Amino acid sequence: MINLCKELYAYREMIFSLVKKDLRGRYKGSVLGFLWTFINPLFQLIIYTIAFSFILPSAIEKYYLYLFVALIPWIFFSSSLQGGANSVMASQNLVSKIYFPREVLPIAYVTSCFVNMLLTFIIIFLVVACSGVPMNLTAIFCLPIIMLIEYMIALGLALLFSAVTVFFRDMEHILSIITMAWIYMTPVLYPLETISDSKIQKLFYFNPMTSVIIAYRDILYYAKIPDFSTLFIAFCFGIASLVLGEFIFSKLKKRFAEVM
Amino acid sequence: MNPEYAIEVHDVKKKFRIFYDKGNDLKDRILFRNRNHYEDRLVLKGISFRVKKGEAIGLIGHNGCGKSTTLKLLTKILYPDSGTIEMAGRVSSLIELGAGFHPDMTGRENIYTNASIFGLTKKEIDKRLQEIINFSELEDFIDNPVRTYSSGMYMRLAFSVAINVDANILLIDEILAVGDANFQKKCFDKLREIKAHGTTIVIVSHALGQIEQICETSYWIEDGLIKQSGTPKIVHDNYLKSMELKRTEQLEKQHATEQEKKQESEKTASVTQITEKLPDFCEKTAIRMGTQEIIFTDVQLRNMQNQKQYIFDTQEKIKIFLQYKSSNTGLKGNFGYGIFREDGLHCYGTNILIETGECIPIQKQGELEIIFQNSLLPARYFLDIAVHSHNGIIFDDIRQVISFVVSSSKQDIGVCRLESSFLWR
Repeated sequence: MINLCKELYAYREMIFSLVKKDLRGRYKGSVLGFLWTFINPLFQLIIYTIAFSFILPSAIEKYYLYLFVALIPWIFFSSSLQGGANSVMASQNLVSKIYFPREVLPIAYVTSCFVNMLLTFIIIFLVVACSGVPMNLTAIFCLPIIMLIEYMIALGLALLFSAVTVFFRDMEHILSIITMAWIYMTPVLYPLETISDSKIQKLFYFNPMTSVIIAYRDILYYAKIPDFSTLFIAFCFGIASLVLGEFIFSKLKKRFAEVM
Repeated sequence: MNPEYAIEVHDVKKKFRIFYDKGNDLKDRILFRNRNHYEDRLVLKGISFRVKKGEAIGLIGHNGCGKSTTLKLLTKILYPDSGTIEMAGRVSSLIELGAGFHPDMTGRENIYTNASIFGLTKKEIDKRLQEIINFSELEDFIDNPVRTYSSGMYMRLAFSVAINVDANILLIDEILAVGDANFQKKCFDKLREIKAHGTTIVIVSHALGQIEQICETSYWIEDGLIKQSGTPKIVHDNYLKSMELKRTEQLEKQHATEQEKKQESEKTASVTQITEKLPDFCEKTAIRMGTQEIIFTDVQLRNMQNQKQYIFDTQEKIKIFLQYKSSNTGLKGNFGYGIFREDGLHCYGTNILIETGECIPIQKQGELEIIFQNSLLPARYFLDIAVHSHNGIIFDDIRQVISFVVSSSKQDIGVCRLESSFLWR
């Protein structure tokens, strides 16, 4: 375990350069280039605002913001899960020819999604400021903590599924269905209180993303410090996900090159 | 691990699972269960060796013998099923050049990407950058995107990065064939320099000469086991000899099947065209002409023990054994032979008139032996045989009557061997 950390530290430049390549490569060749990182979420927000003000008015005040502060972290999570699962397979030629700690691949992918989310948060802050929702500075300080926890959960699952996908290629497609369902099992589009049955409501807390999304919304929409219990549950899920992910990954990585 | 050694490999075994028809997805796995048949193929059957620090070793063997697998195990791309591998220090592998190169990025950016894959930090790359660029000789193009490079330039850049990593152990797989002759020499000199600095080197190559130049020890791997190890020159000679033996066996087999085919086709052909039939001793492709006043009834190639033979060594004496019959005993015959290489090169030809100044009186039936010292180099050859009158009337002339093969374990090249000795003072 310590050896792995040391080795990953030695290979940090590889992680940086993969992240850089991914971020730069994403909008390569387009006229606006890197600006798309901001334009995309901005227009997403504008469309939601129009849709939920005129077409589908919601009972929730400033629903577009309510949705947006949860949706951006969700997109980070779901893209990490789906793309991350494919990250080892996508670099077949490297894995079968060169030695490097294989963990680098999912780490780099999830990190690049994470950086993308951080950049989008610039838009979020702008919108929050413009919308007149008060900002709670102490709450904002909690933001990095919850981001880190979400990163841990996403990375753990990316490690797990990227290793499994190498041996079982269907995983990629199964995951796209799972993420499709997962968003409805998480209070992203609606408040948890919508579910009237309290037993089912409790069931939702077995979903690690529930606490994470609630924490984001507490901080950015309600401008309050999230409950300690919410953070604690999320943190436990983060640790568990990382441990499980790395455990499976380290078991499977030795045979990667053989099946490619 | 003994600090004297850089690499210790102990009784390493590796098997691969070969699927007859691999089903990777769920549907295939459930619907076609019987498709999941596989076979475990033992590629390495227990290999052990040790390499001292600063030493260079070569791994040789024919295709599929397990040498590249061994190298991949050393690189930790693959892991052994049993046995242990210990390596001391940073390992750099020149197995895949240009890993992670992005065509749209400049040469300079790609140096960073590529070097980072070898585990170098930014600071370390900064330090080596100039040296890498200098070595690649691409100063003028370094800020152009790599997709504009020629394949030679691409490989040069990739090689420069890999060789400047400053590893403690360098693993090389068959890649010293980069760029033009000039650059190859430069790479080789660099390799020597690296070795002189104490880097341990493992080379897998078919270029035995290169291994002999740089390595202290050579390991000949065959069928997943080390067959022989020791001084490269000696190991390589044995290796080449065994390869030659294998090739000869194959040729014999080929010859045997050809003969079989010939007999079979003759059987079917004899029904339709009896008149054009060539005698049994001739190759199918033989061409016969002449007045047929004298005709050859048998032609054989024999060794000095008078046994019929098909493959001869370069220095062996060869006997051409001829039998003829004639309807006209008053004639005098000038017998001769010629040898052509498979590609049509006329290697040699002579006749009895040239050699002795006279022709042979012809009897009703007769035999003749022509013995020559073979000095032809390995190839397939055809024998032509003829008997003329002293003034050039062709009695019988068979072109490509017999084919034969010359083999040799020596590596000299050309048409024939000129026995050479080297003297120095």
